[in-house]
Amino acid sequence: MKMVDRQNQFQKRLVGLSLELMFLLVLIVPLLPLGEASAGEKMTIGEVEEVVLMPWGVRLPARIDTGAATSSLDARVLTVKNNMAEFSLPKKYGSLQLRLPVVEWQNIRSADFKERRPVVEMTFCLGQKLIHTRVTLNDRSTVRYPLIIGRNALKEHFVVDCTRSYCLPPNCQEAPSR
Amino acid sequence: MMDRLWSLVSVSVLAPFFLFIPGMVGAEEKVVIGGVEDVILLPWKVKLPARIDTGAAKSSLDARELKIQDDLVQFKLPPKYGGMQFRLPIIEWRHVRTPEGLKRRPVVELEICLGSNRIRTLVNLADRSMVKYPLILGRNFLKEDFVVDVKRRRTAKPNCPAIP
Repeated sequence: MKMVDRQNQFQKRLVGLSLELMFLLVLIVPLLPLGEASAGEKMTIGEVEEVVLMPWGVRLPARIDTGAATSSLDARVLTVKNNMAEFSLPKKYGSLQLRLPVVEWQNIRSADFKERRPVVEMTFCLGQKLIHTRVTLNDRSTVRYPLIIGRNALKEHFVVDCTRSYCLPPNCQEAPSR
Repeated sequence: MMDRLWSLVSVSVLAPFFLFIPGMVGAEEKVVIGGVEDVILLPWKVKLPARIDTGAAKSSLDARELKIQDDLVQFKLPPKYGGMQFRLPIIEWRHVRTPEGLKRRPVVELEICLGSNRIRTLVNLADRSMVKYPLILGRNFLKEDFVVDVKRRRTAKPNCPAIP
């Protein structure tokens, strides 16, 4: 009789223990993938997105380019005087004239030529984020998009999904909405 | 009696895993990769670092000493990555805009292992000795269920099943 009691007690304990273990696991297991989910907190954008140049409110389509270290803008009629870059946006996007201080020069090395390009600081609205970043200026009239957004601007808040485009319309509080 | 108890214990311990694994797989439909990843060219098992480039429409490989013979292209990998010689059928020719003007490049099909994914993809061949990475993986490759997080690099060692 005593033996049976003991066995019963042991049995109850074990069941209790297993229930506790199960409870713990149920609690712990969902927490495990959290480390990876940090990427999930970033906003997913497509290979092309519309952005708004601030504070001018000019809308531009931008190529999202993880192959480019820095961002760059199609700057027409570009001149640099006293460390100020003067240029205009392409006609198609309103030819807005801009005058911005040059913060550095970037040496471009490609197979056959060397070039120095001025770099300015700009703010644009991508999704709900205002991004303040360095942008290289050069005449990009041969390429399709007036703005390339490179790794320097993507690092903190975005992941890129190439099966999509125009999936996160600019929606910053400071930016004029359409 | 003890047998039943043990089965109860093991079921209760293991049940949460079985419950959560399908959920986790469902959430991870797209694989997050970094701005640079190590990949393996199959079946040759050559390991190369690749720049993950959403700005490139198509992938491209640094091919040295490129020679065309009818429908075949012969080339070598850069010496830094073993200099292995390849001879592959040309699938198509692609016209690319470069700063030096329009150029014609041969396109071949390669099988690439990235993480645990084996992917057959078209890659154009060009001497890329000026750039840092011997392989550029462009949008044609990335459309196979990858998303890119440039804050990361080398997120997964290439480890494809059924590599003999």
